[in-house]
This record gives sequence, C-alpha cells and structure tokens, in this order.
Amino acid sequence: MYRLALNMLFGDRAKLAMLLCGLSFSALLMAQQSSVFFGIMSWTYTPMVNIRAQVWVSDPMVEQVNDAKPLRDTDLGRVRSVDGVAWAAPLHTSFVQARMQDGNFKLITLVGIDADTFAGAPAILTQGRIEDLRLPDTVIVDEWGAALMGRMGVGPDGKPRSTPLMVGDTFEINDIQARIVGICKVKRAFTGGPFVYTTYDRAKGYTLGARRTLSFMLVEPQKGVTPAELCGRIERDTGLKAWTSDTVIWNWGERSLARNTFWWFWTNTGIPFSFGTAVLLGLFVGIAISGQTFYSFVLENLKYFAAIKAMGAGMGVIARMLFVQAFTAGLIGFGLGAGMAQAIGRAMIEKGMPPFVMYPQILWATFALVLGISFVSAIIGIIKVSRVDAASVFRG
Amino acid sequence: MSHEAHTVAVRASGVDMFFGTPDNQVVALKQASFEARRGELIMLVGPSGCGKTTLLSVIAGTLTPQAGTVEVFGQRLDDLGQEELTAFRRKNLGFVFQSFNLIPTLSVIENVMVPLLIQGRPHDEAHARALAIIEKVGLKGREEGRPNALSGGQQQRVAIARALVHEPPLLICDEPTSALDKDTGAHIMELVRDLSRSPERCVVVVTHDHRIFRFADRIAEMEDGRISRVVDDPKLLDTTHL
Repeated sequence: MYRLALNMLFGDRAKLAMLLCGLSFSALLMAQQSSVFFGIMSWTYTPMVNIRAQVWVSDPMVEQVNDAKPLRDTDLGRVRSVDGVAWAAPLHTSFVQARMQDGNFKLITLVGIDADTFAGAPAILTQGRIEDLRLPDTVIVDEWGAALMGRMGVGPDGKPRSTPLMVGDTFEINDIQARIVGICKVKRAFTGGPFVYTTYDRAKGYTLGARRTLSFMLVEPQKGVTPAELCGRIERDTGLKAWTSDTVIWNWGERSLARNTFWWFWTNTGIPFSFGTAVLLGLFVGIAISGQTFYSFVLENLKYFAAIKAMGAGMGVIARMLFVQAFTAGLIGFGLGAGMAQAIGRAMIEKGMPPFVMYPQILWATFALVLGISFVSAIIGIIKVSRVDAASVFRG
Repeated sequence: MSHEAHTVAVRASGVDMFFGTPDNQVVALKQASFEARRGELIMLVGPSGCGKTTLLSVIAGTLTPQAGTVEVFGQRLDDLGQEELTAFRRKNLGFVFQSFNLIPTLSVIENVMVPLLIQGRPHDEAHARALAIIEKVGLKGREEGRPNALSGGQQQRVAIARALVHEPPLLICDEPTSALDKDTGAHIMELVRDLSRSPERCVVVVTHDHRIFRFADRIAEMEDGRISRVVDDPKLLDTTHL
C-alpha cells in the first residue's frame, strides 16, 4: 500500500509542488537563518581564534573577550610565578582609529603581541614575515582590512578604484606612522574592524595616554598540566580570572572564554531573538503551508480514502499511508531547502558577508523540525480521514 | 446446519436506522427485512429516499443499525467489533460504486490491486492477479493508463475488476449504471452477471435504472424504509415512480 500511497502523492504534481515549496522554504529559512546566526555568534569570539594561546588570563571582572579590562604590568610576573606555567606573554587589544593615506578614518582592532615570543601572532601570513614586526613603526594587517583600507586610485576605465594595501604601504594610528610589513589571513570579527598586529610595546605607543595597556595574558601550561587545571591554579594564586581557549562550540569546557563570550552576546543582545524569530517564522510558515496543502491533498482524496476504508482498510493502514506521504514530502522538502541553504551559504562565504556556519547539528535540527512539520500535517490528515464515514462512499 | 442456512447469503431482520437528533429525526429504515441467496443477483429498487443506500450500507457493515440484526454468510455483524468488521469486509465484500471511486493519480492496474494490497498480499502477486482480471473485463493493454483516460464504461469495468479481484463472496453494487448510457450500462450488467455467477457468490445491486432490471434473478422493492415486496419478474414492477 505504501508504494500506492507514494504514487498517489507523486500523481498530484500541483499539490506536490506546493507541498515541496512550503517544506523547502521552511527548511531553507530555518537552516539559513540558523547558520547566519551561528556565523555571527562565531564572530563574537574571533579574537580567541585569531590570537592563539592555550590559556587566557584577564581581570576578574571580564565577562567576554571583546571587553578587556586593563591589568597591571606586574600581574604578568605574578602569573609567571604560578606552578605549571611554561611561559606567559602580554597581550594588548583595543579599538582605535586609523587614518588612511587619503585622510579617511577606519576603526581597527589593534593587537599588541610579545615581541620576544610572538605569542598570539597570526597563523597565516600571505605576505611578509612575522620577524619584521621587530622593525620600527611596523604592523601586520589582515587581508580583509588591507582591502577595506585600500588606497583610492583611478582604474584603467577612468573610474575610481580602491587598491588593497600592500607591504610597504603606510597609514597612521593616533598620528604615529604604521608601516605594513605583512598581510595575514585571520577570521573576521563581530566588531567589524580589521585586525592590525604590532608588538606589545609599540601598541602602548599607539594608545597614547592609556595608563594600563595589558588587556590579557597568554599562558602556556607546562607539559602534563591541562589548561583547565592551570586556570584553577592561576585563579587560586593570583585572584585573576583564567580561561581556556576552546572555541569548538559543541565541545566547550566550563572555563572557555569563547563560551562566556557567546552567552554574553546571547543574553545581552537582541541577536538570538531576531534570528530565533526568523527560525520560528520558518517553522510556522512550514506548518501553515504544508499543513494546509497536505490537508487539501487529503480533502481531495477523501472519497478515495473513504472507499479504501469501505473496502476493509483499517485506520492503521491509512494512517501509515498518510505518514509515508507526509514524511516523503518532508524528506524531499528538507533536501531541497538544505541544498538551497548550502548554495546561498557558499555564495555568502565567497563574498564574506554575512558570516555563515552550517554545523551538522543545524542540519539535523532542521531535518527534525521538517519531519515535525510533516508529522503535524499527517496528523491533521489522519484526523480528517478518521472522521470520514466509510458509508459516505454510497452517497454518490 | 439447515438447507436454508446454506442458501442464504445475506439476511437483515427488523432493521431500524435513523439519522439526526431525537428532535429532528430522519427515519431511513423501519423494521426492514431483506434476504439474498447464494448464487443470485438481487436488485434493491425504489424511489429516492426510500432507504436503499442505507440498507446497502448496513449490509456492508459500514453503518450499524439502531435495531435489528444483519447476517452475512452466517456471520452476525453485530457480534463483530470494529476491527473484526473491517477485516470481515476486507475478506468477504467487493464494492462497485456509483461514481466509480477510482483513484485518479493511480494507474488502472494499481487501482485494481488495492483490495489485494489491503489484504496484505505481496505486490507481485497482487499485480499478477490484477492483470488477469483486467484482461477478463476486456481492458488488456490499458492497465498502465490513468482512469481518467478511459470512457465511463471502461472506468466502471475497472471498478468491477477491482471489486472482484480478491474474489469476495458478496458483491455490492451501488447504482453501477447510473453514469452510463443504455448500451454501456447493459454491457456492464452482463459483465457483472457473468463474472459473479457462482454458487458461492451473491450480488446485491441498488439501482434506479429499470433498463437493467432484466439482469436480476429477483428484485426487492423498497418503500418508506422497508422492503415492500420481492418479485422474480421485473415486468411485475410498476416502474413509473422509480
């Protein structure tokens, strides 16, 4: 009977198309919006990804990575003295205005790293060498920033054109020259500004007047000491806050700064509400369109279901037929919707805006929700068919 | 078991059936009694609203009467629970409906396979048996087409094939010729009579169509919710009010 149930479904192409439109649109909306949401949320803890260290130490009042509360330089010595610390390096992060050659200003994320160890340096340099940061007035700019802060010129067609900054180009931070010695590849941040790396001491110079410039300390545990264990020791011995650097969203440890950052944005911004509304909208649209279309499909076939009942099919058989029909439509709709979401995501990733992270869990959740929509649709149909009197087939 | 028990296929005794609320009650059957024998084709005739279709539904077990008993091949239907009744219909009854009720999105052969698949027969067996009966009703070569590509007469042939594919002992036909012209209707009735002619089978036909009365072995006339008389010869009926 199930093969016939499928043939009934595929035989009514107009209804099937409508049903698949509803289901795939719903799947698309849920998967795409969830992926953009997680993409945006993954940007909130970008510094954790771009500045690599096993343990981060901060002021005890720090709640998230973008909100650094300056520490005293002497805290570095206290941390270094904690048992289990292999090394500890200073880190400066701040948002400052950079002045381009054409006079424009751009907000940048200034990252000052230890010039001796280069702890926290970007992993990939597409141009230049990290060691050149030891030269006077030097910085490394990320690729996206280099394009964003590009020099305005005139193209071969005579129209104004921006050329990305290159090694050797200069700009100013607080009226102090910054000469580019490298271009790096890093992940973009929620705050939007390009990452500009320099040495910790030079960063002090760029942020004139700041009494304290130590934002975080990057710490490496000794062999045999886990980051979580070291965090406990640092907190106990110094009274500072220590964090692990887990950034894999599904494996966050208790002390993860990325996790705290994620939840800080979750509870203190309207982002989850905004995207949650879009996902809920997708769910309701799916239920409304699919439920309505499937109901109309059942209504159109009601007399045939009544005939099948009269011929001796129990409600169990008919319910299973309707489930097969609804779940098959759900599977196809999910496939189409998730496929479209993937395609849109790929296009977004190529353009770099907005961020798009489609975790397998998003696909599973979307799949479950689409099957939920199919289930609700099937139940609506089953209720309708169960109320049909088999004797109605004799009424012409 | 008496000789009578062997020959009676359907027996309805003192059946009452009414619809609506006690304040606004419509009486469909009032102490209706009816009997159909094995090996015969019996027609239920009467004016509109006399209760023919209701009696047919009661015999088919799709309606439960408020009073009276119905026996089909010795089985009292009121002794059966809902699931048993459904199983009883599945095994023992074949239906030909007034509007054919062929599923338009299925092919001819798939429509015919439905009763066998409901019985849980394997798909291949159902396919083979459906193909055989489609050939018997003269539609060989049309099995993969859709019902709506067929004429009314051909569609009713498909419906007959579907009703008989699982070889039910009781065939119930509700106005089988009402949507057909005179000649096609006669062909259909010939087919019903020929295919159903078996000592173990009984055919009950509800009809308004006096042109097909000649195919009946007996005709039961209904009036005001009960059988008013049963005749062997259609000429004895006054058909002016039918």
